[in-house]
Amino acid sequence: MRVPALRALILVVFLLAWEAAARAANPLLYVPPSAVLPALGRLLALDSYPDLVESLLLTLREIAVAYGLAIAAGLGCGAALGLNRVIGRAYGPILGALYAVPAVVWYPSLMLFFGLDAASKIAFGFLLGFFPITLAVLAGIRQVNPHMLAVARAFGARPLTVFVKVMIPAMMFTLVGGLRTGLALSVIGVIVGEILGSKSGMGSLINHAYGLFRTADYVALVLVTLALVVGSDAVASLVERRAQRWSD
Amino acid sequence: MSDLIVVERVGKRYQTTSGPVEALHDVSLAVGAGEFCTVIGPSGCGKSTLLGMLGGLVTADAGRVLVDGRPVTAPDPRRVALVFQEAGLFPWRTALENVEFGLELQGVPRERRRAVATDLLGPLGLRDFAAKYPRELSGGMRQRVAIGRALAIDTQIVLMDEPFGALDEQTRLLMGEWLLEIWRRTRKTVVFVTHSLHEALALSTRVVVMTARPGRIKSVLELPMPYPRAMESAEMVALRARLWGEIRDESLRAMGER
Repeated sequence: MRVPALRALILVVFLLAWEAAARAANPLLYVPPSAVLPALGRLLALDSYPDLVESLLLTLREIAVAYGLAIAAGLGCGAALGLNRVIGRAYGPILGALYAVPAVVWYPSLMLFFGLDAASKIAFGFLLGFFPITLAVLAGIRQVNPHMLAVARAFGARPLTVFVKVMIPAMMFTLVGGLRTGLALSVIGVIVGEILGSKSGMGSLINHAYGLFRTADYVALVLVTLALVVGSDAVASLVERRAQRWSD
Repeated sequence: MSDLIVVERVGKRYQTTSGPVEALHDVSLAVGAGEFCTVIGPSGCGKSTLLGMLGGLVTADAGRVLVDGRPVTAPDPRRVALVFQEAGLFPWRTALENVEFGLELQGVPRERRRAVATDLLGPLGLRDFAAKYPRELSGGMRQRVAIGRALAIDTQIVLMDEPFGALDEQTRLLMGEWLLEIWRRTRKTVVFVTHSLHEALALSTRVVVMTARPGRIKSVLELPMPYPRAMESAEMVALRARLWGEIRDESLRAMGER
């Protein structure tokens, strides 16, 4: 009971401070919450941006495709690197080094390759989501108790069976953690991609509002995007907790 | 005489960071069908390596291992089942599903393997624990599930590598009695690795004593006396003293090596 109350308290304090600060400063740049609320109402009523629903759906579609590709490639690469010692030693460090590069530096070339439409956003969301998933599979495979693998082998399991019946469930917790991080990063990739250059999607609306100094609309759009991200992360965390209970 | 398991002059070396280590040297052994053969010896004498060879998990550098007349090259779950010191249960499977594991790998249909595993839970003393996960079971129960997993595939041979080594002494004694019961009922051929003199004398038809590294066979003790054995009888006490005499020197050597 206390935790929600404390959370509500910090929100109220934050909103009041924001209101006071914004009123004292330039309201065009520092929009107060009292102006955001009506803007949010206009936005949700499709007054300010009639293409809100389309944009939201486009962004969601891009995220879904980017994330789906990241999962497929991440599982495949992680398994290849984790199960084959030679391949793992050859390419594992390269993967780690690439992950350390701030991914946004790749974005201009992705736009050159894939154009300004959805493809470059998907590519960027994929790129960001791919690494944590691959690295989670790699770490997960290393964590599997070798004893369980010996048992599986003693009972006649072949390598693929070992992977599916023992490794995947044994590393489920680590894997789901990586999948959750991957989802968050895929979402970021797609939205950042849209903000950096596109004609449609939530990022493009945000960019538009921001560019025209429609600050209240801009904040309202950010709030909608935030709801999208928080919602997707809540689903992921639910899945994660289920997996935690399931493994040990 | 046709022996079910034949070990012919096997040897094994391991490469370690501090140079090669000879785990087994020129070991020969034959185990007949229905025997309860215990291998005992100091730590690091290659007992587990020998058992791994019988199970097809470890390949010999020299010599060969035959099961039922055929050389062992890989695990053969149709003829040989294994139980390890660590139960090695899968934490995401219930007790029942763990017992089913081997049958599942062999492609036995779900209803059939469920029936086999359910029937096993009774003698395992786990009838009320079918739906429990390993973390909800005691150490002894977990080890019984692991033994159930081995019994479920109904092989002629069961290899056990210190199955009760991680249990407290009371549990250990009870598990020994329980295993004896199972073995006498099923008449399987058991090769049992242990550190425990008590287990060796209470359970086995034959005890094989191994030397400190490199493991060789030091002596073989035949135990034809009936079960259950009165471990406090003069005969068993004398046998225990004799067995301890055999092992003591080797254990001292093994300790000195460290």
